[in-house]
Amino acid sequence: MLENYLPILIFLLVGAGLGGVLLLLGFLLGRGGKDAQKLSPYECGFEAFEDSRMKFDVRYYLVAILFIIFDLEIAFLFPWAVALDGLGMFGFLTMAVFLLLLVVGFIYEWKKGALEWD
Amino acid sequence: MEILFYVFATVLVGAAIGVITARNPVHSVLYLVLAFFNSAVLWLLLEAEFLAIVLVLVYVGAVMVLFLFVVMMLDVNVESVKSGFTRYAPVGVLVMVIIAVELAQVIWVRHMGLRGVGELTPMPADYNNTRELGLLLYTEYFYAFELAAVILLVAIVAAISLTMRRRPGLKAQDIARQVGVRREDRVKLVKMDAEERQ
Amino acid sequence: MAIWESIPEQFQMVLIILAQVLAVTIVVTLCVAYLTLAERKVIGYIQNRIGPNRVGPKGLLQPFADVIKLLLKEVVVPSSANRFLFVIAPLLSITPALAAWAVMPLFPGFTLANINAGLLYVLALTSLGVYGVILAGWASNSKYAFLGAMRSAAQIVAYEIAMGFALVAVVMASGSLNLGEIVEAQAGGAGLLNWFWLPLFPLFVVYFISGVAETNRAPFDVAEGESEIVAGFHVEYSGVTFAIFFLAEYANMILISALTAVFFLGGWLSPFQGLFGEDSVLGAPGLFWFALKTAFFLFCFLWFRATFPRYRYDQIMRLGWKIFIPVTIVWIFVLGAMIAFQVPPWFA
Repeated sequence: MLENYLPILIFLLVGAGLGGVLLLLGFLLGRGGKDAQKLSPYECGFEAFEDSRMKFDVRYYLVAILFIIFDLEIAFLFPWAVALDGLGMFGFLTMAVFLLLLVVGFIYEWKKGALEWD
Repeated sequence: MEILFYVFATVLVGAAIGVITARNPVHSVLYLVLAFFNSAVLWLLLEAEFLAIVLVLVYVGAVMVLFLFVVMMLDVNVESVKSGFTRYAPVGVLVMVIIAVELAQVIWVRHMGLRGVGELTPMPADYNNTRELGLLLYTEYFYAFELAAVILLVAIVAAISLTMRRRPGLKAQDIARQVGVRREDRVKLVKMDAEERQ
Repeated sequence: MAIWESIPEQFQMVLIILAQVLAVTIVVTLCVAYLTLAERKVIGYIQNRIGPNRVGPKGLLQPFADVIKLLLKEVVVPSSANRFLFVIAPLLSITPALAAWAVMPLFPGFTLANINAGLLYVLALTSLGVYGVILAGWASNSKYAFLGAMRSAAQIVAYEIAMGFALVAVVMASGSLNLGEIVEAQAGGAGLLNWFWLPLFPLFVVYFISGVAETNRAPFDVAEGESEIVAGFHVEYSGVTFAIFFLAEYANMILISALTAVFFLGGWLSPFQGLFGEDSVLGAPGLFWFALKTAFFLFCFLWFRATFPRYRYDQIMRLGWKIFIPVTIVWIFVLGAMIAFQVPPWFA
């Protein structure tokens, strides 16, 4: 089984290598002088106002947490979908209960307004 | 195979050390990503295909994104975190000792030959790890599986009740109402007779 | 030949794989080059212009001129940027975009890495693309870049769930995570009526639109939104570092198109399989059909860009969470019923 993964390892290395070679070429071939104005962060020609690292709405964290939960649910669905033909009615119902709980959670989210983006 | 294991295990340990020694919290998170990758490869070497890829999918693709959000946007002040070091040190040492004892036990148990892990026999190329897992998980272990669903449900409720804040005075678009508008509600055609030119 | 035989057998295998990988990489890169030209030409004709026509015959050498230009441009690393992360971020977005091709079934019986969990691998790799964006935005230390990165991250995250559910349905229908087997599961006498786009139609639409959103393409391109935040996460990138982001974006477009073709339009299968038989030219499966289907979806990408105005951010989030996710969950139940009742011709 592991020998099937060898091309993936090589492909990851080639992908990163291609990017690396391009970067190297760019840094070698690129011309131009540097000065303080050019190297300052872009802000429509103004001097940068305050710090660019700002605090963000807590909503972003909520979205990220909900994403993790749903991602896990999807991870649980895949083995079930693959083994579907060997599971029979019992396996079918097991997943139905699981999905039902997921739907309850989803409706709760919806009603609470967690999916609202305003 | 041995060599591969030691290469990835070494990188894993190195990355784990990086997580706790890096000064910049964003670098710490990235070291953790590297650590997850290497543990995924180690699982793959054990031919636990599904778990290895799901580790990348869930931990690297989702959990670490949340971590990045947090350390990037909370703008954690490194100095104030460091000031508590001596205060929390005893607890840290305690946790460390417990883990060390547990690890020692695992190794000891193995050497007693109680529950030794036998030699892994390489599976044939068409061995389907995910299917085997599915056949067990949803029949034999369905109780634990449904329990996981309940825990996830609790997590949804907890996350929402902890972070949901309704800011007052927000004007949001109600799309259902917008789409539901009928012509008759908005436009009124009035029939009137032609008037004489003034 | 003598040199070749003197190499140990394991290294021979590695070298053969390396050659194949390089071939695929070069073809994908060339496709990216000509996709940029196609984009400018197609959008040009849609807007009643002729697009680039100066470099080479009919402008056919334009992509190479662009590449050389971008390579020769200065690479500016802003003074307040985190240098290491700033340079590494483009690499993090190009590597997954290319490496996902390892499991792509290109023509009957050929996949570089014929792994059983191919679909999971693709899903895992596409979920890594978000790192390049977030790190680029953060390392630039610029407000526009950071805003763009955050928008893009929340957006990618929302559409990935819809995508995941749609793929669960594909796995339910085909019973396999191996992309080659998914293609073969769609084969049958009815030709294109046998493919999964028909029984999974809502998911097919959801998957492709989510793909457009995942690649941050118009009309979901708020991460770049040139009229609001200039260029979003790559505003500080210039020269070759910008070129790599560009390469990654287009490579992702090709990847999503190819994946949609594999999951829903039967990959390398011929649409006339039953009509002409597998031995005839039109009925035989092959790379040609796969490329044709991929090209169709790529054209849709360009068509969308030329046609639709940009979504507003709250509308994007609403579409992802409140429309696509419910649709996919409902259709998983419907599909479960279809499989249980063995609806022909797909599940008989």
